[in-house]
Amino acid sequence: MREVSYFAPAQVGEAVKLLAQYGAKATVLAGGTDLLPKINHYEVKPEVVLYIGGLGLNYVREEDGKLVIGAATTTAKLASDALVAKWASALAEAARLSGSSAIQTAATIGGNVANASPGADLVVPLLALDAQVRLVGAGGGRVLPLKDFFVGPHATVRKPDELITEIHIPKPAGKAVFLKLGRRKAQTLAVVNAAARLVMDGAVCKDVRIVLGSMAPTPLRCAKAEALIKGKALSKALIEQCAAAAVAECSPITDQRASEWYRKNAAAALVARAVAQAAGIES
Amino acid sequence: MKHILSFTLNGAAVDVLATPTETLLDVLREKLGVTGPKRGCDDGECGACTVLLDGDPARSCLTLALTVAGKEVLTVEGLMQGAALHPLQKAFHEHGAFQCGFCTSGMLMSAKALLDKNPHPSREQIRAYMSGNMCRCGSYEEVIEAIQAVAAGEY
Repeated sequence: MREVSYFAPAQVGEAVKLLAQYGAKATVLAGGTDLLPKINHYEVKPEVVLYIGGLGLNYVREEDGKLVIGAATTTAKLASDALVAKWASALAEAARLSGSSAIQTAATIGGNVANASPGADLVVPLLALDAQVRLVGAGGGRVLPLKDFFVGPHATVRKPDELITEIHIPKPAGKAVFLKLGRRKAQTLAVVNAAARLVMDGAVCKDVRIVLGSMAPTPLRCAKAEALIKGKALSKALIEQCAAAAVAECSPITDQRASEWYRKNAAAALVARAVAQAAGIES
Repeated sequence: MKHILSFTLNGAAVDVLATPTETLLDVLREKLGVTGPKRGCDDGECGACTVLLDGDPARSCLTLALTVAGKEVLTVEGLMQGAALHPLQKAFHEHGAFQCGFCTSGMLMSAKALLDKNPHPSREQIRAYMSGNMCRCGSYEEVIEAIQAVAAGEY
């Protein structure tokens, strides 16, 4: 019979030592909402389970002009926390729209980032908010932009001996909006999700972030669409061009949730709506 | 390797042997004979296995048993107050908030978590909070009515 080891360290240092010892053999467990279905259906057969729920990483605080969110902070907390509502309401909205009440009390922000789903609900607004991810390994810590963290579906630059400990969000300028289209309203994975953050000066867009999820191998910053409207006065026609440009940067697939054709059309509508709302223009 | 797992189940301390990949649902049903939580999908989608973990709704199929060490688990078996049904149980019964009953224990636990946090939820709040509990018989309307009746103090 296969022997599985289980560790529930109480400190980050201890967890990192275990990761250094077991490397890729270790399966990190936080809320379990992505991992457990795979264990239950024998898609993942862990050799070492490292439970990080006891590390005290469930916190949201303001630190040096940044919002610092512990990796084990649940989506339920993100959806109800006053600081998140003030600094990153688009993230709170994404948390509210992710999963059901029992999933939200378990699922964590670090898990959503680590799992690296192309349609990860929390990652889409985090990219629009220029979030960073803090990793701690045996050799010390590093902080890198979240946009450089993902390399493909369920693949990241995290080294096997590194643990995601925090997500950092700089004080955001402008207004950010998150929109999600699923097969139904509740407890659903995104067919397409989108976020936009705009800094406006009157009718002129001074700065912009546009992000699409479920439209490429990773959640994607749409740089060409952003360049198209940055520094320009926004009009309905320009916003539509921008939405088309965002879709043109993506490479959606047909799967059980939607076809490529449907995703492209839905994404264009979501981007146009998100940009208009973030700009304070009715749409 | 088996570990001794100690936690509080329906108000009583329990010690049970569990392996690292066994879920709380496995341990409750197969080792402790607590069969109120049902195994529906093993994916966290259906809600039939819902229990309360330190007062919050949790999918026992998505919870590795060893992670509940030292915590309080409440299942439908712990809802009754002595010989009397819990108000939610009475209301579900009298409103016919089920047909086959497979989803009921999970529905009751989610409903309890909701009313513990928000004793007077709106219809929309009930719908949103209960959205993770599936009823393939389609008793949703009666479930909402039963919860509203308890919130209104009728039970």
